[in-house]
Formats: sequence, C-alpha cells, structure tokens
Amino acid sequence: MGTAAALRITLERSLQHRFPAALTPSARTIYETASTGIPVLDSLLDGGLPVGAISEISGQESSGRTSLALSFLARRTQDAQVCAWVDAGDALDPESAAANGVDLRRLLWVRCGTPAAKPQPSKPGTPMAATSALSQLDQALRSADLLLQAGGFAAIVLDLGSIDPASAMRIPLATWFRFRQAADHARTSLLVLGRDSYAQSSAALVLDCAPLRARAAGKAAHQTVLTSLEFHAERGRQRFAPAPTPIRKPPASTWSANCTWDISTAPATEKRA
Amino acid sequence: MTLYACLHLAEFPAQALLRLQPTLRAQPVAVMEGRAPLEALCSLNRPARRLGAALGMTRLEAESIPGLKLLARNPQIESAAHNVLFEAAARFSPRIENLGTTTSSTLMLDITGTERLFGPPDALAQRLSKALTTLGFRASIAISASFHTARILAAATRGITLIPTGQEAPTLAQLPLAALNLPADDAQTFANWGIHTLGELAALPQDELIARLGQRALLWHQLALGTAPHSFQPVEPAFQLQEFFEFETPVADLDSLLFLGARMIDSLVARASARAFSLARLILHMELEKGAVCRRVIAPAIPSIDRKFLLKLLQLQLAANPPSAAVQRITLRAEAGQSSKVQLGLFAPQTPEPSRLDVTLARLKAIAGEDRVGSPVLEDTHRPGSFHLAPFAVSATPQKPSNASSRRTHLALRRMRPPIPVRVTVQAEKPTAFRDRQHTYAISAAYGPWKTSGAWWAAEGWDLAEWDVLAQATSGESLACLLVEDRQTRAWHLEAFYD
Repeated sequence: MGTAAALRITLERSLQHRFPAALTPSARTIYETASTGIPVLDSLLDGGLPVGAISEISGQESSGRTSLALSFLARRTQDAQVCAWVDAGDALDPESAAANGVDLRRLLWVRCGTPAAKPQPSKPGTPMAATSALSQLDQALRSADLLLQAGGFAAIVLDLGSIDPASAMRIPLATWFRFRQAADHARTSLLVLGRDSYAQSSAALVLDCAPLRARAAGKAAHQTVLTSLEFHAERGRQRFAPAPTPIRKPPASTWSANCTWDISTAPATEKRA
Repeated sequence: MTLYACLHLAEFPAQALLRLQPTLRAQPVAVMEGRAPLEALCSLNRPARRLGAALGMTRLEAESIPGLKLLARNPQIESAAHNVLFEAAARFSPRIENLGTTTSSTLMLDITGTERLFGPPDALAQRLSKALTTLGFRASIAISASFHTARILAAATRGITLIPTGQEAPTLAQLPLAALNLPADDAQTFANWGIHTLGELAALPQDELIARLGQRALLWHQLALGTAPHSFQPVEPAFQLQEFFEFETPVADLDSLLFLGARMIDSLVARASARAFSLARLILHMELEKGAVCRRVIAPAIPSIDRKFLLKLLQLQLAANPPSAAVQRITLRAEAGQSSKVQLGLFAPQTPEPSRLDVTLARLKAIAGEDRVGSPVLEDTHRPGSFHLAPFAVSATPQKPSNASSRRTHLALRRMRPPIPVRVTVQAEKPTAFRDRQHTYAISAAYGPWKTSGAWWAAEGWDLAEWDVLAQATSGESLACLLVEDRQTRAWHLEAFYD
C-alpha cells in the first residue's frame, strides 16, 4: 500500500466520528438521458432529456417547444420505441411530425376536447377560454395518467401549450408527484409543453424557450421565403445535473429549426452561451 | 369392449333458460309454450314442481300458483345451450349421438378406449358431471356396455349410474314399464296382464310374447333384458362460438348487460380453450326495442382467453358507446384465433403490453372520444393538413429515416382547429397587419404567397394563398404564424403557429 493511501486511511479513521469517509468521494448516481436530436441542446442538458422523469419545456408561442419535442420523439421512435402525444389543445400537426422524422405508426395521438364544443380563442396565441380549458385539461391529465400507468411508452408529451396558464397552474401538486412516480417506475420521459412551468419540484428539468430571430432567403428587400427560425433555450432547473451549477447566469443556448422546404445543406447556426 | 355414457338433461327448456341466469335457479321457474291464450306449461324446475306446478298446465293455472316465475320458451336459447352441451361432451369423446326430444336433451357418448385419458368409467362420469355443472347444467349420467340400457337408466334415474357388464337385466328390472315409452294401447295390455316393471317383462317367454303382440314386442323384450342392438350414428356439428339470450323484458341497465356478458364470455372462453383456441374477436349483436339493431366489435391486439380482460374491453366498449335503447336480445359471437406466443428479446426496446394497451386505448377513447385516439396517417393529397387517425398498434419494425435530411430539426406547426377568422390589412399585395375579434397585430415581415389549389372539379376543392408572417402583438410578444387566404371567398384565417 502506498504512503498516500495509508495516510488517507489513517486520517479517515481518526476523523470517522466526525466526518464519515472524509477524503473518499461520495458515490454518485448517473441518471439516464435521451438525446433530443439537437446537438447544442444535448450539450446544454448534459446528454439530453432525462429518462424516467418529468421535463418541462416552457415558453410562449413560436418559441420552439413543439419542434424540440418532435425532434426528441423522432429519435425515440427511430429506436423502435413507442411514444404518445397527449394534445390538450388539439394542435399537433402530423405533417410537421413526419417532416421531423417521427415514425407516425409508433406515435399514439390523443386529441383532447371536442371540436364542436370548443369555443373560439379570444386572441391568437393566447390560451382557450378557461371554461373549456378545464374540461380539456381534465381530459389531458386523465389520459396522461392512464398512459403512464400502462407503461411501455418511451416518451409521453403532455402538450399544455394551448391551455391558459391560470388553469394549468391549478393542477394539484399531488398530480405532478404521481406523474413523477409513474414516469420513474415506467422509465418514461414525460415532456410537459406549456406557456409556463407547472410541475414545480416534481420536474427534473425545466427548459425555458423563447423566439430569437427569423431567417429568410433572398435579398433584404425581396425576401419571400422563410427558411428558419432561431430560438433561445435556457436551462432553468436540472435536478440530476452531474455537476452543481454555480450561482450565476443560468446556462443557455441558441438553436434553429429549418422550414421543411429549406433544402440547403448548410448547418443551422447553433451556439452555446 | 364397447362402452357408452349417456347424458340426459331433463327439462331442457328450463335448464337452457336458467343456464345464463344462475340467480333464478333456486327459484320456482316454469316455461310456457304456445301462442296466447293457449299457452301450456312445457318444462319446469324442481322448486316449481314442489310448489305443485305440472306439465300441461295453462297459463291461468300456472299464474294461480304464488311465487312461480313464468318464462317463455325460446328455441334459439335452447339451440345455443345445446351447442354448449355438445362442446362440453366432445371433450370426452369424439363419437356422440344425439337422442334429444322436444323437452329433454340426451347425448350418447361412445367412451370405448378412453380409460387411459380419463381413468375408469366412474372417474370419467365424475369429470363429466363436474364439467356440466360448471356450465350450469344438471344432468343424469349412466354408463353401460349396452346402448339402450344406458339411455333408459339415464332418463329414469338421477345422478351417476354405473352398470357392470352382465348386470343390465337386474339393474333394469326395478324400473317401471313407462321407461320404454310404450304406445298407450300396448301399455294398457301389459297393465291388464299385471306387468308393471321391466323385470316382469323380461321374465315373459319371448316367443309367446311375439305371437301375441307382434315383432315390436321383440325389441321391448330385448330392451328389458338389456340386449337390444343399436347401430351408432355419430354426429359432428360445426364448431361455432356463439351465445344467445333473450330477455323477458328489455334491459337498459349496463350492469345487467355486463352480468350476462360475463357469463357468455366465460362459456366462450371455456369452449375455445377446450380446442386450444383463443378469442380473436368478439362481435356483440344487440336487438333493441322497436326493431333497432346495435353492433359492437371488440378486437384485442392479440387473441386472448383472459376472461377478465375481455370483460373489461366489453365494459369499456359499452360504456363509451351504449345502445340507444333497451336491449331485447343479445348474440355474442366470437372468432377463434391462435393463442399468441411472443418471443421476448432481452435487448428489445420496451413497448406496451398488448392486452394492457387494449384496455388503456379503450379507456382513452372513453375519455377523449372514439375517433380521437390513434396513430396519425397522412393522406395522399396536396391539401394542407390532411390526415386521418388509424387504430394504434405497436408495429414490429420501425420505420427507418429515408435520408439524412430527416435527421435535421424542422420547424413545427401548431394548428388551430378550427382556423381563426381574421381581418387582414393588405398594402402592396402584402399583409401588413391582422386583427381578430379583440386584438391587432402588426406584421413585421410577410413571406409569400404560397399558392396551392386542387380538386377544383369537386365541392371540396381548395384554392389558397399562404403567408408566413412575423407579427408583433401590442404586448410586445412576437409570433410567427401562418395566415391563409381563401382565394375564392377572399376570407383570411389564422391557420397555425410556428413553434
């Protein structure tokens, strides 16, 4: 035995009554993550979205939440896994999902709400009226609960992006806690899309998204084709971070999503803040 | 040596009606046959007999007996019950002859050589009796080397009777002459002679008997001795998994339907299992009041014989889509499928368990709607936003990405269903602002128009101009959205958001 090792053991024994294993690094659990399919975000999130936990992707409309979720589902379905999209506002566009590479045969889509009973939104980009949102929200929560309890789904997206934050904030914490337990038990990644963060302490990860800028083809005065949108993503909370984040500005990245008609091979601009 | 087992189900019309209603078995029940007002009692159970009911009573006489429940005879229910009985008997012998009458069901099983499968005859009789009791039947069983001896004893006695070879005549000797169902004139002749039992008939000299009553007396004499010959005529009906029941009064209560459905599923599962089958589909056909018909199909992802699972699917199906009126008749038909055997892989990705997924999907449909749960399938058209939902099933092979471009992240749309009508301000053929009912949005950049049209020859044709716009709300919130102008009606809609 080397001198350093012997010295360490001696010190630990002498301090054992005050500091157990004072000089031995504590054991650390490595949590499984799954790639989002966007390298810069994978880097920001230390590998991707956590498996068996709740991840919240929050932000206003046009902040890239849906593109990110579809990119994540595309990777999961291409690995022969099964995913579900619980759509509280009936807003999913299957063409966008297919364009992102989601295997639609492996995607279960639950369209909450009844079109005939759905009233017109009061304002574009704002949530549904609270009276209808409650019933739609109730359907979405019940559906997500059933899917989590059934097990076998690699990822479930609970899309509350069209729901009034005031209604979604009223979801009891016990519900989120139950979702967290079920997701952990089933090894399911539960993604919650919303205008705000709702799960609070039950969320393992919170990613705040915001729109940054748009890019178009052609000269400035004659731009007729939108080619991509750039988004800003900021890591708000990460319970299973390998290394504790120092108290300073939270880590963030910018990433972009190209329009389906943009066939240019140049990689989109992405950078880590 | 040939050996026969005879199953005799007396009062079969009553047994068939009570098979799916176990709660009524302990009550006095009589079955009426014929058209009103000439209905007559044709079958009854033991409690009814104890109350004084008898065959041939009119409805008025039967109704005068307090506590006696009267049911109408139903040939369809009897036919279904007979099929069930035949299926159960076929598990013990493939050679079965049907000897049923209008008011009883009698099956003769050729059980020669079955000792190695079911043990000695008494063990076989016990197992047979247990199987029939499980199905809700009460049968008397007689086993003999003589066909007719087994038949006569099964009809004349209760429980299980074993007749050793050579003991046919002594066993039959105590039975009354009525066991032979003689014509009335001949029965009266024997009564005048003082012959009342089969033993007394067997003791008569054969030649003199034939000289007085003709050749038909030879058969009676041989029957009394247990030596009458018989040419076995086996029958083999088609395998059909079907149950039928008709309610006395229309039933609208879901619990009552499920109670009956559970009994039917039990029976179907037992019959399918006996042939190493599973149930691939259940088709529920309900005849409602006023002649309406309701049909429900339950198709689990994999064939199953799990009765609780099938019953749960039935419950969820009926809860989500209840019949529009009270149910008068129910037919539950099943399609047999092969039992599934799935080789699981150690490194295969996790997928939902098929049976559990079926129940989950049924529950989701009950929450969100029958047509709002499934896998999206894009339609082969250029019309924007065209898709339909297909039933969700876990496919075995994943779809491989077609090319490298599918690895890129594309901008997704969030559709507004239905699209929101907006008023758009257009300057220099470009939208510069739009307004919904309450708010105005300034457009900072508009890209387009993308013109798309199709099906101009049909009513569902479209002719649209799409604009991708970047808009600024008064609150400072920026949006990227898709505005669509219908070029025929000049109406503008907010179709979707980029997100």
